Amino acid sequence: MFAEKLKKINPYMFTVILMVAAYFTIVSLWPFIFNLFLSFMKTDLISGYRFVGLSNYRFLAKDPVFFKSLWHNIFYILVLISVGITTSLVLSSLIYRTYGFSKKIYTALHFTPVVTSMVAVSLIWNLLYYPKIGVFAVLLTKFFHVQPQLFLADSKIALLCIIIMDIWKETGIRVVVLLAGMQEIPKTVYEAARIDGASPISQFFKITIPLLRPQITFLVAIYSINALRVFTQVFMMTGNPPGGPANSTKTLSIHMYQEAFYSLRFGYGATIAIIIFILLFGLVLFQIRAFKQTWEY
Amino acid sequence: MNKNYNLTTKIPRVFLHLFLIISSLIMIFPFIWMLISSFKPSIEVISIPFKFLPTKWTFSNYKEVLQTLPMLKGYINSLIVSTSVVCLVLLSSSTAGYLFAKLRFKGRESLFFFILASLMIPPQIGIIPLYFLISKLHLTNNYIGLIVPFAMSAFGIFLMRQFISGIPNSLIEAARIDGATDFQIFYKVILPLIKPALSVLGILSFLWSWDEFLWPLIVITQNNMKTLPIILGHFTQAEAKYPGQSMAAITLVIVPILIVYAFFQRYFVEGMSMTGLKY
Repeated sequence: MFAEKLKKINPYMFTVILMVAAYFTIVSLWPFIFNLFLSFMKTDLISGYRFVGLSNYRFLAKDPVFFKSLWHNIFYILVLISVGITTSLVLSSLIYRTYGFSKKIYTALHFTPVVTSMVAVSLIWNLLYYPKIGVFAVLLTKFFHVQPQLFLADSKIALLCIIIMDIWKETGIRVVVLLAGMQEIPKTVYEAARIDGASPISQFFKITIPLLRPQITFLVAIYSINALRVFTQVFMMTGNPPGGPANSTKTLSIHMYQEAFYSLRFGYGATIAIIIFILLFGLVLFQIRAFKQTWEY
Repeated sequence: MNKNYNLTTKIPRVFLHLFLIISSLIMIFPFIWMLISSFKPSIEVISIPFKFLPTKWTFSNYKEVLQTLPMLKGYINSLIVSTSVVCLVLLSSSTAGYLFAKLRFKGRESLFFFILASLMIPPQIGIIPLYFLISKLHLTNNYIGLIVPFAMSAFGIFLMRQFISGIPNSLIEAARIDGATDFQIFYKVILPLIKPALSVLGILSFLWSWDEFLWPLIVITQNNMKTLPIILGHFTQAEAKYPGQSMAAITLVIVPILIVYAFFQRYFVEGMSMTGLKY
């Protein structure tokens, strides 16, 4: 009876299901549960755990650095999406108007920063942003006659400087995604508009943007999720401790990393991680709704 | 009328190219500056008055970097980790992709949903528990500890399922009538047909793994186990002191990737746009 049942089992299914289920249980479900457990504990992971109830969450509700970091993430998302997508839309609609070899070259050049690593690129920009006498400071003074800037050392604009670098690095992906979308818009739509006397600019606003809605929604979704996780560029561009000067660039990930691995408050770190999860979950739910709307037109 | 039409289209075309050339230059300027600065004596990288080209070209930055930092070891470590991750991701994504696209079993939808749900869990959630697990198993400062958290990708499984769904069922049925097991069908029928998708997923997971920073930063403490991003990470504190050397180190890390990109540019770009549209 048992042997018969065993014979019926498809070995391929059995192996793959077991492999996948075991892996995701250990690497994604268990960490989630363990993290939830940790958020009710006070622990340095070595000398044991002490149950503290909701006190981590109560501490979080009064932690000014947490709220500052949260605001920095929101600011990051807003600037990255609005400026990043606008510039990419302009660039991709310009590249769309070129042909053959020049089109390939423009696309490839705009895509170059995407393939290089964030750590390396952050270090290059660090030096370009060198205060007062760095390349950007000198160029800005020369062409726009502004005071030599401090950039990353200035707590008012440090975060913006990091976001500008990020926009520069990822422009290529957005351009490629938008170009692929533009290629799917039938040429006849533009012909008809041209015959009706629509200028290239009104074509852009009345045809291109509305028909690119699926791609734009996709980009908004991806980049808001990425901006909520942002870690490497802030860590690399703000020195020791990361998130400076004066916490002006601290994001939720950086705050969590410092609380857990610098201050060894793993319980509180886990609490911040849970909040990041809740935010991300909310964002994804919101975006699934937005996606549904785009399919309707 | 005709003349007027020419005027309004010709002049913008010049501006179009001018604009695109400028923006292309902005895209690659930091890399050009990096390359040039890596040949400058360190005091000239940031100097008053500002100089773009070095007064004297020198290799001393490269020499010092190769002497003081474990660059070669870093390359080997990064290559071992990234190639292992790519192989494991390709294997797991394609086998699971076939499972979810073509095979029927109880609980298929819920298992697939379970995997997709893991996409929603931010990596920050996993870091503390996984660090706990890896250190309990004494896998810190170990390749296995670096590879395992990235060995399977929910995104990869999703991508492969989408791709394999497009393969006609009749091909699989025909093989099954000939007495092929699912292992044989996967290996002989499915695998040859999904090569383009595999190359895309391979490139993407290689780039992501090559770029991974937070996880190795936490689990690697020994110098001889550090991957390239972690070695470069040393420069966060020392960059202003050693600008020439840091640019030389970054050049050593970036240039191989840029060369590969120059040759396979089409695959990179197409891969990215494909994943963008598959959602």
